[in-house]
Amino acid sequence: MTAAQAVEAATGWQARLAVGFERRGEQTVRAQCEHFGPLRVQRSLYPEGPQVCQTIVLHPPGGIAGGDRLDIVVAAAAGARAQLTTPGAGKWYRSGGRLAQQSLTVRVAEAAVVEWLPQETIVFDGAEARMQTRVELAAGGVFCGWEILCLGRTAAGERFTYGRLDLATRIESAGRPLWVERGRLTGGSSWLAAAAGLAGQPVSATLLLAGRVVDRHWLAACRDLVAPEGVLTGVTTLPEVLVARCLAPGVEVARQWLIEVWKVLRPAALGRVAVPPRIWST
Amino acid sequence: MSLALPRLLQLASPALPVGAYTYSQGLEWAVELGVVRDQATALQWIAGLLEEGIGRFEAPLTACLQRAWAVSDQSEVERLNAEFLASRESSELRAETVQMGYSLRRLLHDLDDFPRPPAFAALPEVSFPAAWALAAAVWEIPVADSLIAYLWSWCENQVMAALKAIPLGQAAGQRALLVLGGRIPALVQQALDLPEADWSNFAPGLALASSRHETQYSRLFRS
Repeated sequence: MTAAQAVEAATGWQARLAVGFERRGEQTVRAQCEHFGPLRVQRSLYPEGPQVCQTIVLHPPGGIAGGDRLDIVVAAAAGARAQLTTPGAGKWYRSGGRLAQQSLTVRVAEAAVVEWLPQETIVFDGAEARMQTRVELAAGGVFCGWEILCLGRTAAGERFTYGRLDLATRIESAGRPLWVERGRLTGGSSWLAAAAGLAGQPVSATLLLAGRVVDRHWLAACRDLVAPEGVLTGVTTLPEVLVARCLAPGVEVARQWLIEVWKVLRPAALGRVAVPPRIWST
Repeated sequence: MSLALPRLLQLASPALPVGAYTYSQGLEWAVELGVVRDQATALQWIAGLLEEGIGRFEAPLTACLQRAWAVSDQSEVERLNAEFLASRESSELRAETVQMGYSLRRLLHDLDDFPRPPAFAALPEVSFPAAWALAAAVWEIPVADSLIAYLWSWCENQVMAALKAIPLGQAAGQRALLVLGGRIPALVQQALDLPEADWSNFAPGLALASSRHETQYSRLFRS
């Protein structure tokens, strides 16, 4: 074992991806892409024409273990439009005692749009994890993103009975906070069962649209969507933020509802027809 | 004897004209849905939020606001006020704190001899914790006592909302308050020392209840 491998074994995987988008004429191009460790862009596609660069972010190990650290930085320069997604679920493995961390930073310049629409995050029983998301909008920049959080491998009947998950999501516009949410979830705690907490549901999913003044028609259209069976949904607004949230018994029903919300908001707020990325259905 | 206690009782009284009694913070929708339906389920709802929501975010933030007012740290007051407003989970919860903050600011301005820090008048929107913390700082109320009273007022208001919405009898309400009050000292102790990195406000059930309350057909409360 080399010294570097010994350090790796002691500290876990460190991985970093920085991807930048620019507008050139009518096209959004991937102008910068640096990666370190097992985190990369699988490919960029233009399924809806040159304006929007669809980018698939790949973490080949597929899961994050105790001691691992992933840093993702997405930057969209003025006028660029990027849509990022992932080919499969993100997994947080049982930790063995060390904290695993993921940090996502999204910088959106004037008149740029970033969509962050990853597949679900599955938190294995016994995971010790911290997920931080920070969005920095310039005036006129727009972010639309979601997080589908699944506590335990529910398909196998697993629940989140021990371990810990720290969540922090922050959106700022020109340095002012628009949205601040932080959570500390302890496996097996009463808060997971509490009606005001996670209400006994393993899946908590949230879509945030930020940087646009919310039109009441968008809000009404999202509220008019029929929730799938067993899913508790709610849509509300804050200044320049629309929040669509649900608690659900499983990932698929939560995603199904979020996609419907996104199909309402994308044409209304981002001016483009909502075409679900093909990778979601493979 | 110090004046801090009578001043604190005045600040924490339901007679303070800020309209707190018109808000249920999503509890009315939880009653509508049936998840809050009796003394036990009301207590679970309120105690859960006390310990996992308000006790771990609003309380430590209010303590920091009071310390900032005490040393006239205007930029810290502005930062914490903006942080609190951005942490509100719904349109109604944000409107509630802005209305109560506005009412308390107006009231304090109407009191004889109450100082008017320029930073207070300058805030475009005052959250209720920011206004409360200024009153507590000006009246030299110890921060721990101010937090005990802040959490007590919140509990009392939630229990009164439960009595009306479920409904429950007065004795049931007082039993619930005995339990809730018993949890406050430990929460205040925690809040006084809780580093900002450890604050948390994640309460998706509350957020959903409050979002749904915004379109509830028949309602007594404004949140």
